[in-house]
Amino acid sequence: MHPALHFPDDQKRPESGVRIAIDIGGTFTDLEWADLATGRSESFKVPTTPDDFSVGFMNALTGAAERFGFALTDIRLVIHGTTIATNAVLTRNLPEGALITTAGFEDVLEIGRHSRKDVYALKPERRSLLVPRRRRFGVSERMGATGEIVRPLDALSLEACTRALAESGAEVVAVCLLNAYLNPAHEIAIREHLRRNLPGIRVSCSHEVSPEIREFERTSTTVLNALLMPVVQTYIERLRARMQAAGLTAPLYLVQSNGGATTPAAAALAPVKLLLSGPSGGVLAAERLADMLGIPQVVGVDMGGTSYDVALIQNGRRAVVAQGEVDGLPVRVPMVEMRTIGAGGGSIASVDAGGRLKIGPESAGAVPGPVCYGRGGTQPTTTDANVVLGRLGAEGFMRGAFPLDAMAARAAIETCVATPLSLGVEQAAEGLIGLVSARLAGAIKLSLFERGLNPRDFALMSFGGAGGVHAVEVAEELGMETVVFPHNPSTFSAHGILQSDIAHDLARTQITPLTPGSAAIISAMMAELAAAGRKLLAADNFPETAANLRFCADLRYHGQAFELMIPLDGEKLDAAAIAAIIERFHREHFERFSFDDRQQQVEMVTLRLVATSALGGIAARSGNALEGGAASARLRPIYLRGAWRDVPIHQQDALDGSAVIEGPAVIEQDYTSLLLLEGWRLTFTGGGDMVARKQGDTP
Amino acid sequence: MSTASGHRAVDPILMEIIAHAFVAVAEEMSITVWRTSRSTTVRELLDYSTAVFDGEGRNVAQAARMPVHLNSMELCLQEIIAHHLPLESWNEGDVVVTNDPYCGGQHLPDFIAFRPVYVEGERIAITCALIHHVDVGGGAAGGYNARATEIFQEGFRLPPVKILRDNAMQDDLLRTILQNVRDPETFRGDFLSQIAALETGARGIRTLAKRYGFATVRDVSAALLDHSEQAMRQAIRALPDGVYAAEDFVDGDGIEPGSKRIAVTLTIAGDTISVDLAGTADQAVGPINATMATTKSAVYYAAIAAAGVATLANSGCYRPIRVSAPEGSLVNARFPAPVSMRMLTGHRIATAVLKAFALAIPERIPASYYGVTFNHAINILHANGRRQVYFDYSIGGWGAHAEVDGPSGFAAGFHNGQNTPIEMVEALFPLRFTRYGFVPDSGGAGRTRGGLGLERSFEFLAERGLFNGSFDAFASRPYGLAGGQPGQGGSLSVTRGGTVTALPAKTIGHELRAGDILSMITPGGGGFGPPSERSEAALEADRKDGLVTSAGMLDYPGSGGASAPGAIGGMKP
Repeated sequence: MHPALHFPDDQKRPESGVRIAIDIGGTFTDLEWADLATGRSESFKVPTTPDDFSVGFMNALTGAAERFGFALTDIRLVIHGTTIATNAVLTRNLPEGALITTAGFEDVLEIGRHSRKDVYALKPERRSLLVPRRRRFGVSERMGATGEIVRPLDALSLEACTRALAESGAEVVAVCLLNAYLNPAHEIAIREHLRRNLPGIRVSCSHEVSPEIREFERTSTTVLNALLMPVVQTYIERLRARMQAAGLTAPLYLVQSNGGATTPAAAALAPVKLLLSGPSGGVLAAERLADMLGIPQVVGVDMGGTSYDVALIQNGRRAVVAQGEVDGLPVRVPMVEMRTIGAGGGSIASVDAGGRLKIGPESAGAVPGPVCYGRGGTQPTTTDANVVLGRLGAEGFMRGAFPLDAMAARAAIETCVATPLSLGVEQAAEGLIGLVSARLAGAIKLSLFERGLNPRDFALMSFGGAGGVHAVEVAEELGMETVVFPHNPSTFSAHGILQSDIAHDLARTQITPLTPGSAAIISAMMAELAAAGRKLLAADNFPETAANLRFCADLRYHGQAFELMIPLDGEKLDAAAIAAIIERFHREHFERFSFDDRQQQVEMVTLRLVATSALGGIAARSGNALEGGAASARLRPIYLRGAWRDVPIHQQDALDGSAVIEGPAVIEQDYTSLLLLEGWRLTFTGGGDMVARKQGDTP
Repeated sequence: MSTASGHRAVDPILMEIIAHAFVAVAEEMSITVWRTSRSTTVRELLDYSTAVFDGEGRNVAQAARMPVHLNSMELCLQEIIAHHLPLESWNEGDVVVTNDPYCGGQHLPDFIAFRPVYVEGERIAITCALIHHVDVGGGAAGGYNARATEIFQEGFRLPPVKILRDNAMQDDLLRTILQNVRDPETFRGDFLSQIAALETGARGIRTLAKRYGFATVRDVSAALLDHSEQAMRQAIRALPDGVYAAEDFVDGDGIEPGSKRIAVTLTIAGDTISVDLAGTADQAVGPINATMATTKSAVYYAAIAAAGVATLANSGCYRPIRVSAPEGSLVNARFPAPVSMRMLTGHRIATAVLKAFALAIPERIPASYYGVTFNHAINILHANGRRQVYFDYSIGGWGAHAEVDGPSGFAAGFHNGQNTPIEMVEALFPLRFTRYGFVPDSGGAGRTRGGLGLERSFEFLAERGLFNGSFDAFASRPYGLAGGQPGQGGSLSVTRGGTVTALPAKTIGHELRAGDILSMITPGGGGFGPPSERSEAALEADRKDGLVTSAGMLDYPGSGGASAPGAIGGMKP
């Protein structure tokens, strides 16, 4: 039973009914639902159905309805986080696509930026290629560097290209012309021509998908978008059909990579914006929880079986970047900033020929999994080291429903790590844990460093199945003094999705030097974007008055290639506001890169707008409904800092909201555990979440 | 053979943790340069490298960038310490910088900067950032003066000097440098970014020392070098002992006729490698000479790659390798020989050494890649008198590997880096590109095919400009292996009023007028194995993708040659 949702006093209680969030992951499909009348919320899990994700989606819906006693017709809204787009790219389960470019530049997609990752490799690394050369076609046309037409679109050439496209058998085509980010006229003309002549082929144009400079990144993003169009459309149609068949008429929204929700119609046109849909739910949840706890600076970490995702909440807001990467391919759409490293509970430990200890990135995955799962795994993993040291109990998860084989884990660590390094088993296992913590801490450090931030100013928020036993150690490694553990780490992402807003990202690239005189120019651009944003929200059936507009500007020193995103207040600027923005940029630049250059002109490259409209109703979870007795813990030997000692083991659901727990201690949750070190104190928040704080100086 | 150093034994786990931290520090420095620099050379091409040294100047960790830079930084630092600025004269807050090939550098555009890092008064590390700057004055914009016969004609030469003392920029010195380069604004921006990266690295090291203690960090540094040395020795032991001789060629120096031979005698004995370059051509009159920093760097790159060693790349890897080269030769030039185009000789040292390794381990060594970086620069003369320098490069195809075709248009070998986006060039310079794409039939035929070279062509839009090119491998084509054919060579031409004129590989000051179209063709990689053994499926795919035309099919006996259906890929109306 989860704590009840809370509605602020000044807000009218919403209509009755149920809101649903569904997050489909690799192993489980998580559902979180909220009763809009009472604010009660609960979660539910079913296995993911990889052959047809919509089956698991419906299983979760019908299962939850049955379990919690609501009718499908009570559902008012369904919000869905999906990895369908990411999976389609990673497994290359994509349709045959074609590409139309400016003649002479058909190979830009394949050349890419042409640098290699492993500088000493003599056998070439795999390069991702989405459209082979035989389906890349050039048309005679040219836009100049200021958007002027240098060569008009040649009709004969377009005809020839259309014929070749028809013969190629492609289902979708991406159109990416040079300098089209400055003038889209030719791309639009090509799309119109194809619509008339080849109506069966879906078209995606670069000026719509990614209207920014750098042809390769724009081409790659546009091609991915084109290839994903049928994938996402088919998926949405299938979901809708299943929902309709079950008598479910509630509107469906999809979570985008930027953490905002969008309509299925918009998602089908811009499916590339769904590439980070899944993980962004966890970041949304982290943002909401950080807000509720009044902790504005948070590093959210999600550790599962194979990977560790790091995201930042700064000044209460999730960090969003303008470009990310999927399978080595650049994807230039706004997405939640996330660093992923291959370190999880299943990461495999080994000693290389030169006698150096290694952990990951190879993972034992779900099958066979860690040695202690007893499913045939023979190589020791992070989880095995935790079991050997008693940090994870051998009685295992779900109160003994899934016992772990500690002896097998011990034998594997001995054979594969301790013996080759001439160490004791505990020493070796503890070393492994230290190495894992250092890698996790390293990932956080790089994420913060890129933004010039100091870990000591941040709290760590740990969720996902495998992170709880490492979080406090990672915090110590980084000098962080607060660690937040959500009460529901394994369904945290669905919980976040439940609270997302409708969001549209708009951008306009126009290099503008920041001077007192530029206030009017930028204000005009802001007005233009604001009107467009309100129109989009209106098209989603949200009243314009409900629109929430947030502007920011990508700024740089003249001549630089990369920008810092600086938020702007309000919807127009004056000379004083410009001066304040310039000052803020200098300061940010100094903080991030240890210098500023006040002699240099600051210029705006892109003006961005996030137009959101709240889906309404659910504010934040609060009001502790924790029941249970006093903290009566049993003891278990755990190997900590070089010695075995008896440490109290608590069950999370047996703890009172007023409990105060001093480290060292372990708190066991349904699917995972968290480890509190000596010198740390854990307390509960009103919402049932836990906060660990470092106490004074420890030896 | 084993290491003789006698430091304390180091906890293997702590060693691993600190090793990761060192690499992270080098990467943090790299991010600083990338995000804050000004020129397209640095921020788009990524022509820079960063690394961390121990307190005695031994390279401990590198950010994964340019092998040519990384493997020469230690030589430069040791040269500075031994002959110019002994370590005792370095202080907290100093930054030492040089670009002098005769003080351990490679060529004048590469400025190498070092910053010592102190913890409680003791020097624990030195951070290093090397950046290729857009211009260094001298006889040709971008530094590639094809007519230079001595280094004085190649630009501004800065001996190792302290540009920062006690954290204060020495403004007199900086102003002197800026006065001597064509695009001081860009130079200054890149230079500030370079200096900032050194401090970023220093900050990281100080944090590390505070966390683990000075002694531990010092001991781990030493242990990491030993470890890489051991890993390298182990990899060498796995190679068949023997003496292997090979050669490769540079087209020439652009001044005297004739190609230049690079001769390599590789000896693998137990856990050591020695590479002797005796038999190599005498030093050239023109600027294709290499100093030992370039030569050793090329040999180290080739040996580390060939040994296939999976370890932390640092100078421990160099210890089992001995390099000798006759003084006064192309690969060990005497002052004041010109060296601006040393990279094209450096590439061919690397490919010659790899060719020798191919005799020992044929299945692991690919055929030759394109063999040269196509460095070029235009001195753009605007009507108002302003000078603007456009610097860029192009690359070609990989050599085929025994198991896979060589990738087309992909950075290989002794260097690495990105292209400059066409839209970015056009936004900043008066150029309009007419083609950027693969050159059909340029990959060497073989059982596996060499990667294709690239064409990069643009129209010049300003009134007047002077073009400089530092190219090679027009005549000396990238070699094939095991019966594979060589890749197609490169070329350079200019089209004015419909007339195409070929230009030499070493071009200086070729005058461009508005409307001229300059076209660069880079070489394809060599093929591997007999072309007759190429599979039908592979030939069919190449044909469909237009990578090999019907004319190119003539190189594949039994493929049907010119009678095969024409290619349809890469259609041009």
